[in-house]
Amino acid sequence: MVSDSAALPGRLSAGAQSAAASRLTPFPDARRWLQLGLAVIWLLDGVLQFQSMMFSKGFSQMLAGTAPGNPAAIADPINWASRLIADHPVATNTTFAAIQVLLGLGIANRRTIKVALAASIVWSLGVWWFGEGLGGVLNGGASPVNGAPGAVILYALLAVLLWPADASRDDARPAPFVAARLVGPAAARAVWLVLWGSLAYFAVTAGNRTAQGLHDMVAGMASGEPGWLAGLNRAGASLLNHQGLAASIVLAVLLAVIAAGVFLPPPLARAAVILAIALALVIWVAGQDLGTILAGGATDPNSGLLLAVVAVAYWPAARPARTPDAQGELA
Amino acid sequence: MMMIPAWILDVFAAIMLVVAALSAGRLAIGRLRPGADVDTAHLLMGVAMAGMLASSLHTLPTTVWVVVFVVVSAWFAWRLLAEVRAEGTAGLGTGHDLPHLVHSASMVYMFAAVNTTAHGSGMGMGMGMGMGTLEVPTLGLGFILFLAGWAVWDLDQIGNALLHAHGAWLPRLSVSQQPAVALATAGPGAVSGPGPSAAPAASATRVTATQAPAGHPGNPPSPGAASSEAGARLLDPRVAVACRIAMGITMAFMLVIML
Repeated sequence: MVSDSAALPGRLSAGAQSAAASRLTPFPDARRWLQLGLAVIWLLDGVLQFQSMMFSKGFSQMLAGTAPGNPAAIADPINWASRLIADHPVATNTTFAAIQVLLGLGIANRRTIKVALAASIVWSLGVWWFGEGLGGVLNGGASPVNGAPGAVILYALLAVLLWPADASRDDARPAPFVAARLVGPAAARAVWLVLWGSLAYFAVTAGNRTAQGLHDMVAGMASGEPGWLAGLNRAGASLLNHQGLAASIVLAVLLAVIAAGVFLPPPLARAAVILAIALALVIWVAGQDLGTILAGGATDPNSGLLLAVVAVAYWPAARPARTPDAQGELA
Repeated sequence: MMMIPAWILDVFAAIMLVVAALSAGRLAIGRLRPGADVDTAHLLMGVAMAGMLASSLHTLPTTVWVVVFVVVSAWFAWRLLAEVRAEGTAGLGTGHDLPHLVHSASMVYMFAAVNTTAHGSGMGMGMGMGMGTLEVPTLGLGFILFLAGWAVWDLDQIGNALLHAHGAWLPRLSVSQQPAVALATAGPGAVSGPGPSAAPAASATRVTATQAPAGHPGNPPSPGAASSEAGARLLDPRVAVACRIAMGITMAFMLVIML
């Protein structure tokens, strides 16, 4: 019996369909879920870039504001880029928004994921420099609470860690966690140590350990936020009032514990990852106000959410096993 | 403060008109088939959103649209409830009722929660003439994240040949109606990946489905039109999913600029 499918292109024989079905996973594996999460964040960034404020002088001024305090070699190109954007706000911003939407869609599409991830690394590095002034790492303004080391550099890090390929083809020795699948456990743990260790350092830099440093940072977030978030800011600021040094030290110790945690046996490593996720989400909600998306003018959800996604990629597998990963070969 | 350039809103409005036209075409070809509720919802949302984006495309008053989408939301909520009762919560990720319920609820939210007092312009006047802002913006952010998330999920699933073959992400058609289209869409490029053994039974079901006779009661009621290549392509479930992706992204865009 000839079915309606006979009139359609690209049909498969029943045998081919059966064989194809037997080679595919029905649902994404852990790495694919994280890739999809990254795709959602890029898509969110893209639509955020369409806000009316981004087409105004305010956007270029926001970029220019990241230049002061950086070395001239870093600051001059930022100023040049912000002038270019100020002169052509519609063309440049529409391009930025379209690129970010396409990155999200490209990562979501299994056939284009490698191209999109590679492009996202290039784009992230560019935005980290020209849009975030290297996250304030060089000008002393970086803090884990205000988004250090720059949200967008975490996109690039995730693109590398979630790259759809495996360093080892040895099924008997699978990667112990998702982030190790491409670069191996040692390199992945080194990346983790640098990331969370640097955050621990930033927590106690001079500007962040003053009596009112964290208080002012949190209290300053409340403007323009919905009532519940502004209330959270006020409560947090009240707790931190004149407690900046103690709070900075506690934060740095927690971050240092997290940084060392992935080198511990799996049960303790899991506890460290849970602590990392919890701390990242607390910072994201109470310290970064969900990236100030609700107040308007945000270009991304800030670093807290990305740190949580990075942490999930380090969750030790209960029974390390390299699940068959369709997209790695599809891409 | 500079507004969003009108041509950007017009581009999104044009995309919504294309979605509405495709959905109308699908309804015209097979209006009695299961899944027509999805096309009807897409048609209504496409027209409504185009009117919100471009004042020249304004159609019905805001109140009417609110009532329309409350009814559509209630329909998909009822369908979702039936789906959960029949299959449990496991089917939520692969069925179509949840995303359409959220899409419809987003429409209600956009029409009902917009505060235009500061701007002096109603939604029906089009965003190009001045946007309102949304009440309860946290809810708006929730909608944005869901819409973006589901658009990404849909795009991922389009590339998943097994789900193509299962028809799990397709509008809920009977076995004999999933046919063909589901199999035909699983092109060679979409099935080149390795993976574990899976679903031989489902495979057998699919083969049976493709062999359903054209006059089978479950098949589309207009065999002449539906059997034409153009008609079949229009009824390809990927068209409905592509419409859903386009609408999800456009809705997320609209919600973001109204936050």
